[in-house]
Amino acid sequence: MSEPVTIKVDGKEFEVRPGELLIKAAEDHGTYIPRFCWHNRMKPVGMCRMCLVEVDTGRGPMMVTACTNEVVDGMTVDTQNEAVQKAQEAVLEFLLANHPLDCPVCDKGGECPLQDQAMAYGPGESRFVEIKRTFEKPIPISELVLLDRERCILCARCTRFSEEISGDPLIEFQDRGNKTEVNTFPDHPFSSYFSGNTVQICPVGALTAKPYRFRARPWDLHMVESSSFFDTAHPRLSIHVSQNEILRLVGIDSEPVNHSWLSDKDRFGFEHVRSENRLDTPLVRRGGELEPVSWSEALDMVGNRLGLIVEESGGDSIAVIGGASGTNEDAYALSRFARTVLQTNNVDATMGEGPSAHFLAASIDRGLIADVDDADTVLVWGPDLKETHPTLYLRVRRAAQELGVNLVVIHPRVTGLDDRATATLRYRPGGGHELLSDLSDGSHEQVTSLISGKVVAIVGQASLADDPGLAESVAAFVREKAGTPRIIPLANRANIYGALDMGLAPDLLPGRVAYGPEAAPEPWGEIPAKRGLDTPGMLDALSEEKIRAVLLVGADPVGNSHEPELASDALDLAEYVVSIDTFLNDSNHYADVILPAAGFSEKDGTITNLEGRVQKVNKIIPAPGQGRPDWSILDDLSTVMGKSMGLGSPETIAKEVAAVAPAYQGISWDLLEWDARDGAVVPLDGEQPLTHIPVRAKGTKAPSAELLLHQGRVMYDDGVRLRNCHYLSRLAPGPVAHIHPDEAKRLGAREGVAVRVVTSKGEGEFAARIDEGTPEGVVFVPLHQPGAARLGTDPVVRVTVVT
Amino acid sequence: MGLLSELWRGLKVTGSTMLKTIGGSGLVTTEYPKEMRHKPQRFHGRHVLNRYPDGMEKCIGCQLCAGACPADCIYVRGKENDPESPVSPGERYGYVYEINMLRCIFCGLCVEACPTEAITMTHLFEMSTTNRQDAIYTRKELLMDESGKVPHMFPDDELADLDELNTADGWLRATAPSGVAAYEGVQMWQGTPGAASWDPEPSQEERDRASEGDDG
Repeated sequence: MSEPVTIKVDGKEFEVRPGELLIKAAEDHGTYIPRFCWHNRMKPVGMCRMCLVEVDTGRGPMMVTACTNEVVDGMTVDTQNEAVQKAQEAVLEFLLANHPLDCPVCDKGGECPLQDQAMAYGPGESRFVEIKRTFEKPIPISELVLLDRERCILCARCTRFSEEISGDPLIEFQDRGNKTEVNTFPDHPFSSYFSGNTVQICPVGALTAKPYRFRARPWDLHMVESSSFFDTAHPRLSIHVSQNEILRLVGIDSEPVNHSWLSDKDRFGFEHVRSENRLDTPLVRRGGELEPVSWSEALDMVGNRLGLIVEESGGDSIAVIGGASGTNEDAYALSRFARTVLQTNNVDATMGEGPSAHFLAASIDRGLIADVDDADTVLVWGPDLKETHPTLYLRVRRAAQELGVNLVVIHPRVTGLDDRATATLRYRPGGGHELLSDLSDGSHEQVTSLISGKVVAIVGQASLADDPGLAESVAAFVREKAGTPRIIPLANRANIYGALDMGLAPDLLPGRVAYGPEAAPEPWGEIPAKRGLDTPGMLDALSEEKIRAVLLVGADPVGNSHEPELASDALDLAEYVVSIDTFLNDSNHYADVILPAAGFSEKDGTITNLEGRVQKVNKIIPAPGQGRPDWSILDDLSTVMGKSMGLGSPETIAKEVAAVAPAYQGISWDLLEWDARDGAVVPLDGEQPLTHIPVRAKGTKAPSAELLLHQGRVMYDDGVRLRNCHYLSRLAPGPVAHIHPDEAKRLGAREGVAVRVVTSKGEGEFAARIDEGTPEGVVFVPLHQPGAARLGTDPVVRVTVVT
Repeated sequence: MGLLSELWRGLKVTGSTMLKTIGGSGLVTTEYPKEMRHKPQRFHGRHVLNRYPDGMEKCIGCQLCAGACPADCIYVRGKENDPESPVSPGERYGYVYEINMLRCIFCGLCVEACPTEAITMTHLFEMSTTNRQDAIYTRKELLMDESGKVPHMFPDDELADLDELNTADGWLRATAPSGVAAYEGVQMWQGTPGAASWDPEPSQEERDRASEGDDG
């Protein structure tokens, strides 16, 4: 690191790093220089001229923009002398020459940088009396964002964001001179997954969000910090609430996680919270119909029945599915409830999807999100990060684009990162293991040679046709190649990593401990010795009637299943099904009792993200009706069943977790609220009890059929929360099948025509999408789409045009 | 001696007041509610929501009145205008507008904050109700009809002065919108609420010219 340089700003001298921008250096040392276009996370452009300051580097004072000039040793800067003030007044007067004064109806009014800086640095009056430039008032540039060109001050923040950060350059300056305007291209809506960020960084009200439009003014919002429950990286955000209703979410600049960016799903996905479909009272099925009952009645009923079943048939006859949708405290309560009260090890939060629980929770050399910044190579062999892990996508994209990190992407079709990848490899759906053994046999030399030095391997299930063990095999392969790579194993589902850390897997106990009766935490007492079943195992046992009762916690095995009939038949056979959930889902049709749960923003607690970072989430609104947090429902149930857990409050649960879960030692709410606002990565001191070393599994051979089916997750699907979001629910692509143009020609399919897709496990009609990103011989069908048929996991497929 | 003269002095005040009262020139009490006292022009009474002469609502739902209110008695929510049949000019209108008169301290800051002169105060001050719910005035009660008439809460009450809502103080502004000190103390106000239109504020130059004219 080079020597710090000394600069003098407004008479105050301080040392800063050489090469730093003057505007940033001054701000870090307490001198705010006004600005519109400069943003901490983007490259400077010097568009708005608001940051003009007088700088003397020995050649006499000069007016320069602080955002484009780097600090130099001995620099003297004046940010508020008469000349600077005059320049600032002039800049503001020019900006306001065309900016309409419709602040009272503008969503930005009250928190607008232009408003604030016009008050602080402006001349107060304008000499311009001419009529202002007019445009058509807001034009929708996407389903979520409105553009008001009259208000735009041409700062280029949105255009730079879409080019530099999100990689969807869909919004750009058009025309020149006085006619310059920002706009989208004809027939190309601003359909970026990250469009909401441009609303957040717009320094005026030119870009506004539809869900927030005219809903409130900044001064009647209450705020609290929290983290998103959609993206498993848990981007940090601020919840803005008025009248007990969430009105918007705003990204918080968290250095290790999200750099203030949020995907639109994380930003606008709050709409489900006040959906009218939310469960708000306990429901009991009587004569086939669900009837509302009181909590005490419902709890008595459930407690007595479950108690009876445990007594008659033992804990093995009970299945507990889910638990990944709540906080760590909820998951801990469920884990303890299942083991000590229900006496069962049949618990599974992964729902049988993706890599194994041991690999997800306790993989050796677990990587951090920030590790991609200083890696030599990032290998992504997993789902399309842009679709499933947007926060990670932005970090990887930045590393490849701005920080010179080599990026290798291996996926069955084009992904959002391919345009920045140093090398890409495609493989046929189901052929992952074959490609992996080819790679270790020395083929694709130019790709494997990149896997050396500091490697971050981001691994997960890329395609439904892939064996779930592939991700672990890839990690093992990278370890063979590169020694000690950083491994980031990917999974979906809100708080899956936290749930596994709390022991919600048949072979795990809280704090990343391998299951064993002797390893039971002290307050738990005796726990069952018999190894439990995972979700597919539990569904099989249900079909064989070995399991009598099912407890679903935020889980929908039917909706998630690729063969829903199997899951629904199994649940139908269950004697007693209890569901704790926020919405009615497909599986709840089989539930005998449904208990309403509190969800996002309705409970305090902690959650753990994909790198093991524990963050605090906060309550700001009450749950609808009589909804309660999971831990409190389970606590009361345990009392009814005569084995009271006495959990008390989420904070006392957090203390209990810190005491009994080895990897969570030292994690307290105080720490997360004060000293570790960005969260703390567990284990704090580096030692974790269980270290899972990835093993290379023998893979299956790739199917040799001419046409193969690739099914993968996309950002917007038919998840129950998204389904209940007014704006986001329209964005799901629906039942579509992506086909390569040549393949389409062969099939005789054109864009939009209906095609029949048939596999061994299902068939259905899909709209054809002609897509060059999907290789020939492959059909890509986005998973879990509203109205789409389930096709099973078998990749062999037949496609015909419906006539 | 003293006693009689003191008695005389005291009774002189009583007697003269009695005579003045009988004569009618010294009346202190008015026969309210049959008779109303004169109220100053800028009396702060019940609010009204105004319309433009073409019938459009002036309120744009910006919530500045609610933000300015020191008693926190105003609740406003905005909504997007239907371009086919807009409620107010522009994009936004106030679709919820409520004032809790029990909390209101009639300070008039809402009137000052309003950027469109949508809310003004009238002379009506009789707002007694028999329950708390009725003390919350909504758009229905506050908004004048399209002819410029303001709905009275007790229109059938023979004692009510229906004119109080119409002959009232309108808009009062202490300084020019630009905040230039030269405008301080130059109060501009309009004696009528509602549909009446008024001339725009004169510029500084016009004002200077006018005052020069006065001098010459």
